[in-house]
Amino acid sequence: MGRGGEIRKLPPVAAGVRSRAAALLVAAAADLCSRARLDAAPERIAVVVGTALGGVEELERALECDRTARRALDALYDAPAHALAGWLGARGPALTVSVACASGATALGVGADLLREDAADLVVAGGYDILCRFVLRGFDVLRSLTRERVRPFDRRRSGLLLGEGAGLLLLARERDARGPRLGRLLGHGSASDGSHVAAPDPEGRGLDAAIRAALTAADVVPRDLDFVSAHGTGTPVNDRIETAVLRRVLGPRAEAIPVNSIKGALGHTMGAAAALEAIMCLLAAREGLIPPTAGYEEPDPACGLDYVPGACRAARPRLMLSTSLGFGGCNAALVLEGA
Amino acid sequence: MSAGARVAGVGVLTGWGEGVGALPPDARVAAGGRAVIALGRPALDGERFRRATRECLLGVAAVHAMLREADLGRDAIRGERTALLFVTAGAYGASNVEFIVAGGIVGAGGASAGRSEGGLAQERRGIVGAGGASAGRSEGGLAQERRGSVSALHFPYTAPSALAGEVAIEFGLTGAYVILIGGAPATVDALWQAGRLLAEGRCERALVVAVETFEECETLWRRARWALPAPLVEAAACALLVAGDAPAAYRAVAAAGPLEAAAEARAGRTLAAAPLIALALARAAGEGAARITGTWRGRTAGIELEISGQTARV
Repeated sequence: MGRGGEIRKLPPVAAGVRSRAAALLVAAAADLCSRARLDAAPERIAVVVGTALGGVEELERALECDRTARRALDALYDAPAHALAGWLGARGPALTVSVACASGATALGVGADLLREDAADLVVAGGYDILCRFVLRGFDVLRSLTRERVRPFDRRRSGLLLGEGAGLLLLARERDARGPRLGRLLGHGSASDGSHVAAPDPEGRGLDAAIRAALTAADVVPRDLDFVSAHGTGTPVNDRIETAVLRRVLGPRAEAIPVNSIKGALGHTMGAAAALEAIMCLLAAREGLIPPTAGYEEPDPACGLDYVPGACRAARPRLMLSTSLGFGGCNAALVLEGA
Repeated sequence: MSAGARVAGVGVLTGWGEGVGALPPDARVAAGGRAVIALGRPALDGERFRRATRECLLGVAAVHAMLREADLGRDAIRGERTALLFVTAGAYGASNVEFIVAGGIVGAGGASAGRSEGGLAQERRGIVGAGGASAGRSEGGLAQERRGSVSALHFPYTAPSALAGEVAIEFGLTGAYVILIGGAPATVDALWQAGRLLAEGRCERALVVAVETFEECETLWRRARWALPAPLVEAAACALLVAGDAPAAYRAVAAAGPLEAAAEARAGRTLAAAPLIALALARAAGEGAARITGTWRGRTAGIELEISGQTARV
């Protein structure tokens, strides 16, 4: 596995799904379809997926050895979403959101907007990204990869490790939801830093604005929150800024509620990260267990919140906040409610 | 809070020039057999732009073009009450190819094959390591591989969000944002999103920016010519939406409208920029409203938008 959390073997998928990114997305959709029925007319089913990298591995192949037209078109970032829509038989909107590592959260927000607009009855929404030479090379050049363990919010944190994954949720309007439900997406917000392409704003102003927008959209105040799923990459800068923003926006509530990062366990799955974190939040509410921040052992005075060290915590959060940041100064936040 | 959205300005840059007045009557005839009509690299002042990619500069230039067309100063859009929505089908391709080649990610054979076919990144190729292709997953990362000629900032600029980031930095935009990847329907989706943000009071104005570049990846686009007949025309466009009286009527699945055909006939294939060119054509023709549609990968989306008057006509 080396310095990336690669999925060794993907389940077999239908013919016509050519790229590894599409295969991963379809594997996640197959899992989703085993748990929930897509009970709507095909033209009323939408697909909204977030990705930081899209089909870039196909671009590597297109440049290296495969000169077919299909490979060239598969290299476009929206190709996997269309492959997923085809596999699902969905003929509604098929949207690809690419706001770097905040893509999954933004995709869920756009999916919810499609339902509010009555542009669809069901939305398969989430995010994905695969590991390829392109992204490993990129984060290596940036010197963002740790040589040690990923330790979000820990005093010794020294960088991130990459993972790959896909997380999809089935979104429906409250009145149309069938069967058991995991929870509700109450609100989402986004904001640009407008300060630097590669580094977060030192004051975290964009993240601050995104969280406030999500809380406003959800009609939730900080004292109502029970849990925060942080972006928590394990890089020195991100975790310090994120902590400061949570303190500033949530006030005393930030000190009173658990804050975790699952990137210590899963790695940074980029476009999938926020979707996987949203799923984690909803499962935490259902199971009454909040996952720990794997790798967090030694507190950092600059990051002094309750980061759920050691083991799962028995708690059943109802209202939850999830935060995301990405290249380009992208920030996104979701407010979720457990079922 | 407004009920709808109104188009208050549209800036258009294409390989044919600035504005819809520069568009030929028939793009295919005007192309004269050329597969790609390039737009060039905008000359923008400032050290900050030294590292920026051509597509980033085109995004900034498109906003400047919109401000000129709408006779607005840059302060009119600054701040947290301006939303930014960026759309492209493939404008990240050039920076992605450059990173792959300069970073030694593809082997020497692969890169040279690309060049011999017509010039993938031929002017900007870096060190292409023969051993680069073997250093991937199998070796568990790239620590042992030579770093080639890529710099630390090279990688962030491969992300589509870099373009939106540069636009946000240049114009001081700190409001809501969305970046959609796809052809013309994605731009229709972005116009709808802009209308939603306005109607819900989540912003006071919204910029929908679309950029398409083809020149650096001409070889790849040529491979797909059965799906995308020439001429591919590079374009950068920006629409300014403000609160309006009429709700933006959005159809997630629609039939193609006449403006879509008109925009393609005049401009050529501009992918995500096409709906904004159609809006510019309607605005220049003095229409009070327009039904904008876009088609890509078998899907057509549509939206009806109110348009502010403009005295100039094409």
